[in-house]
Amino acid sequence: MTSTVHAPMFQTVWWRRLVVMITKELRQLFRDKALIGFFFWAFIMDVYLAGSGTSMQLVNAGMVVHDADHSVASRELIHRFHLPYFRFDGEVAHPDEGVRRLDFGDVVVLLNIPPRFQESLASGEATAVQMQVAATHSPQGLSAASYGARIVGEFGREVSARAMGMAANDNLSLPIVRSDHRIWYNPNQDESWFMSISEVLTITTIFSVLLPAAALVRERERGTVEQLLVSPLTPFQIMFPKVVAMTLVILAGTAMSLFGILHGIFNVPMKGSLLLYFVMMTLYVFTMAGLGLVAATIATNQAQVSLMTILVMAPMITLSGTWTPPEAMPVWLRDMMLLSPLHHFVTISYGIQLKGVGLNILWPSVLAMLALGSSLFGFGIWRFRRQFN
Amino acid sequence: MDEEVISRESPIVRVSQFVKRYKKHVAVQAVDLAVRRGEMYGLIGPDGAGKSSLMKAIAGVLSYEGGEVEVFGITVDSERAAERIKHKIGFLPQGLGLNLYPDLSVEENIDFFARLRLVSEKELAERKAGLLAMTRLDRFRDRPMKNLSGGMKQKLGLICTLIHEPELAILDEPTTGVDPVSRRDFWAILAELQQERGVTVLVSTAYMDEASRFHRLSFLSGGQVLTSGTPAEVQALVPGSMVTFGATPQREAIARLKAQYKQVEALGPLLHVFTEETVPAAALQSITASLGDIKPVHLRVDEPELEDVFVALLLRQGKQPMTSKGPLVTPSSADRGLAIEAKGLYRDFGTFRAVDQVSFQVKSGEIFGLLGANGAGKTTVIKMLNGIMPPTGGEGWVAGVDMKTAGGAIKERIGYMSQAFSLYLDLTVAENIRLFAGIYGLDARATDQRFKWIVSMAGLKGYEASLTGRLPMGVRQRLALGCALVHQPRVLFLDEPTSGVDPIGRRHFWDILSRLAREEGVAILITTHYMSEAEHCDNLALMYAGRIVAEGSPAEMKDQVEKEAGQLLEVVTDQPGPALRGVTRAGFTGAALFGTKIHLLSIEPGQDEARLRAVLSSDGVHVLGVSARPLSLEDVFVYRVMALERQERATAKGAAA
Repeated sequence: MTSTVHAPMFQTVWWRRLVVMITKELRQLFRDKALIGFFFWAFIMDVYLAGSGTSMQLVNAGMVVHDADHSVASRELIHRFHLPYFRFDGEVAHPDEGVRRLDFGDVVVLLNIPPRFQESLASGEATAVQMQVAATHSPQGLSAASYGARIVGEFGREVSARAMGMAANDNLSLPIVRSDHRIWYNPNQDESWFMSISEVLTITTIFSVLLPAAALVRERERGTVEQLLVSPLTPFQIMFPKVVAMTLVILAGTAMSLFGILHGIFNVPMKGSLLLYFVMMTLYVFTMAGLGLVAATIATNQAQVSLMTILVMAPMITLSGTWTPPEAMPVWLRDMMLLSPLHHFVTISYGIQLKGVGLNILWPSVLAMLALGSSLFGFGIWRFRRQFN
Repeated sequence: MDEEVISRESPIVRVSQFVKRYKKHVAVQAVDLAVRRGEMYGLIGPDGAGKSSLMKAIAGVLSYEGGEVEVFGITVDSERAAERIKHKIGFLPQGLGLNLYPDLSVEENIDFFARLRLVSEKELAERKAGLLAMTRLDRFRDRPMKNLSGGMKQKLGLICTLIHEPELAILDEPTTGVDPVSRRDFWAILAELQQERGVTVLVSTAYMDEASRFHRLSFLSGGQVLTSGTPAEVQALVPGSMVTFGATPQREAIARLKAQYKQVEALGPLLHVFTEETVPAAALQSITASLGDIKPVHLRVDEPELEDVFVALLLRQGKQPMTSKGPLVTPSSADRGLAIEAKGLYRDFGTFRAVDQVSFQVKSGEIFGLLGANGAGKTTVIKMLNGIMPPTGGEGWVAGVDMKTAGGAIKERIGYMSQAFSLYLDLTVAENIRLFAGIYGLDARATDQRFKWIVSMAGLKGYEASLTGRLPMGVRQRLALGCALVHQPRVLFLDEPTSGVDPIGRRHFWDILSRLAREEGVAILITTHYMSEAEHCDNLALMYAGRIVAEGSPAEMKDQVEKEAGQLLEVVTDQPGPALRGVTRAGFTGAALFGTKIHLLSIEPGQDEARLRAVLSSDGVHVLGVSARPLSLEDVFVYRVMALERQERATAKGAAA
C-alpha cells in the first residue's frame, strides 16, 4: 500500500514537496485581492510619488520682509531672494508681526533691513541685516539660513567691489578663491533619483519582512500548520517555500518599479550589472525574510506580527542610510547599524545603480549580508522547531 | 394571577416572514417564530442554518431585509426601537467567553456588566452572591477569566448576561465546545434560573441531542424552519421506532437494509435502523425479514431520538442520503495486527503532568475513541503518537514503527485530521488534494488515481473547482478526510473532527469511516466530546486528568454504569420545577431536568418508582408517567466524571484536614 510513497528517489520527493509548497504559497498570495492591490500601489504609485513629490532641498520657502529703509539698495537685496528657493510673501509693518507670521507657520524667513541701510553702504560703513529663520523643520531651516547667508554675502561683496570703483563682474584684480566642483554619479543633482531608489529600498524592506511573517502566522492562526507538522515535511520545508514564493513576488515588484518608474519616468541609470543587482536583491529579500520568520515565531497573531515588524523596521529604515547619511550619526549608533541588513544593502544598491561598481568593491557588504541572512534564517527555523516540541 | 394568564398567551417574541441576506447569500428565508413568556425555546440546527442571524435580529443588533420582528410588543426595525427593548434583554453571543474580558477577574467582569447596565450596588452585591453560588463560581471570584475552563467561561458569560435581570435571555450556542459534564451543568443551572425567576430563554444549539431539553423548539436547516413545536409534537411528526441489533457480516447486512430503509447506521458492532413501524413486534419482524439469512442478535426496540426525527424530516424534504458506493481501492492486505500501541505514556509540562501512564491498543480495522473533557490530555496523546511532541516517558508503536526512534517514518504512514479541518480555505478542492498529494510525495500517476478516489469517496463531484471556504461544513469535513487519506495510511487520527456538521452530513462521514475500518482494515483513533459520535466506536477509553479511567466497548461501559448506578428513568410530571426539588431531596442520583421531564438513575426501578410517586404526591405534584430509557454514553461520561470529581474533592478535603 505504501509503495507509492517509498518508490521514488528521496531527491525527487524532496523537490516535489518544495514545488507544491511554493505553488501553494503563490496561489494563496494571488487570491488575496486586497494584498495584490496594496502591492501594486506600493511598488508603482508609492515609488512614483516619492520620486516626484518629496524633496529635502529648499524649495518655495515663504519669506516676509520688514524693510525699514525702503531704498534702492534694500530693494535690490530683497530681489535677490527669489524662486525656486524663496517665495516673497510681502512686507510687514513691524518686526513683531513678522515673528507672528513665523509662529503661524506660513513663512519660514523673516528678513529685517535696518533704517539707513543704503546710507551706511554709501558712506562705506559696515552694516547688518537680520534674518530670522523658523527651523521647526530643521533641514529646510538650515538650508534657508545658509542660502540666505550666501545671498547676503554675495550682495555685500558686490557692494564693496563697487565702492572700490570696479564693475560688479570685473573681479580680476581681487584675490579670490573660486571653487570648481564636479559632481559624480548624479551630475544634475536630480533628487528624484535618490528619492525613488530610497523608496524602492523601503518598500522592498517592508514587504520582504511582512509577507513571509504574515504567511506563517496565518497558518498558525488557522491551524493549518499542525496539518503540515504531522506530514513528513521538515520545518525547513515548511518555511523555505514561503520565502522562495515571497522572494519571487518581491523581485517582480522591484522589476516593475525599476523598469517602469525609475528607468521609465525618472531616467535613473543602471550603471552597473543588472544581473548583479537582482542577485543582490534576492540575497537581501532572503535576509529580511529570515527576520520576518523570527518575528512570526514570537508573535501569536497577525496584528502582533505587523506591529512587531513596524517596531523593528521603522528605526532600521530611517537609520540605515536610506534617507540620511550614516556618517552623520553618532558612532555607537552607526556601529549598531552594521547589524542592519538594510545598511549594507543601501551601499550595494547605490553602488550598482549609480556608481556602477561591482563585487570587487562591494564584497564587504555582500559578506556581511550573507552572514546576517543565514544566521537570521537559521535562528528562525530553530525557534519554529522548538515551538512545536 | 389573571394578568399572568393573559401575558402567557401573547408571545414576547414574534417573528414573521423574517429574511436576512448577506450580499447575495440568503442566510434566513421566511422564518416564523413565537416565543411565549416563561418558556425555554430552542433553535436547533447545524452551522449556517441561520440561528445566529435570527437571534441577533431579535436582540436588536442586526438589521434584516424582510419580514417583521416584534419583541415585547415593539417592532424592532430601527436602532431607536432596539434601544427601547435592550434593557429587558440579555444577549450572550456565540463563542467561548468572547463577550468577556480575559484579563479581568470573574468578579470584575460581573461588576463591569452590572455597572454598564446601571444596576445599583446593593442589588449587584445581592445578585452576584446568588448567581456565583448557583454556578459554583464563588471559589474563583479572583481568577482572571482567561484562566477558566470552557464550561466556567460559559457560566460566567451567563451571569454577566443575567446580572441586570432581563426578562428575555438570548443565548447563542452556549454549549458549543464545552465538555459533556459542564454542558449538563450549564443546562441544569439554566433550568433552575428559568424556574426560579421566570425568565424567558431563547437558546440555540448545534447538538441535536440537546433538543429534548426545551419546552418548545424550532429545527432550522438552510435558513428555513423545518418544524416547530414541543419535543413531543415534533416526535409525533415522524412515527416509528429505532431498532438496534448486532448482525454479521455487518457490511452485507447494511447493504440489504439500505435497500429498504433510509436510515441505517453502524454503531460499532451494532446496527441502528429507523422503521416507520410503531409497534415493536412489527418493527422487529420487518427488520428480520429484510435481513434474510443473516440472523440479528441482541435486538432492542426504542422510541426514536429527536435526531432520528430530524434526519427523517431532512430526508423527506428531499435531501438524499448520500451513499458512497465508490471503489474503496484494493481489499486490504489485511494484517489484522496491532496498529497503535501505547504503553505507559506520560508527558510533563513543567511540573504539570498532562498525560499520566496511558496505555491502550488499537487493532487494524478498529475504531477507537478517546473521550474526555477539554484539558483531559486527549490531544497531547495524539500529538505524541503522531511524532510532533516527544513523550517525557513511556513507549508507543504506530503502524509498526517505534515512535521514539522514527518520527519521520510514522508521519509517512499516518493520516491526521484536526479539529478545525485544517484545509487551505483560499485554495480550491482540487488544489488542496494535489497539495497534500505532493507533500506526501505521490508522483503524477498516483496523484491522479488518488484524486479520483477521494472525489468519489467523499462525494465531491462538481465541487472540484470551488474554493474550499465556500463549501458547506459537511463537504469540507469530507474533503479534509480525503486529504488525510491521500497516501493510503494504515492508521488514521481524527482530533475532534465533527462540529457544526448537519446530521445527514455527519452520518455520511461515519459511513465512510466505518467502511474504511471494516473493508480496508484502517485503524482509526478518534477524540471527541460529542457523545453521539462515541457510539460509533468499537472501543472507548475515557480520560480524566491525564489518566484513562474507564475502558471498553460502548455497550460494556453502559452495562458497568447500569450495574453501579442503575437504570435511567424518565419521569413526566405536571410541575417539573417542584418535582425536581422533591426528587433531589429524596436522594435520587443524577436527577436533571430535560425540558418538562426529569431524568434520574435508579438501581431498583420497581421500588424507586413507588417511593418517587409517594414523595412527589406529598409535594402536591402529579406524576403522569415513569418509563425506563436506555442509558446514553453521555450519561456514562457524566456519571464517571462526576464520581471522579467527588472523589478528588474528598481526598482534597482529607488532605486539608
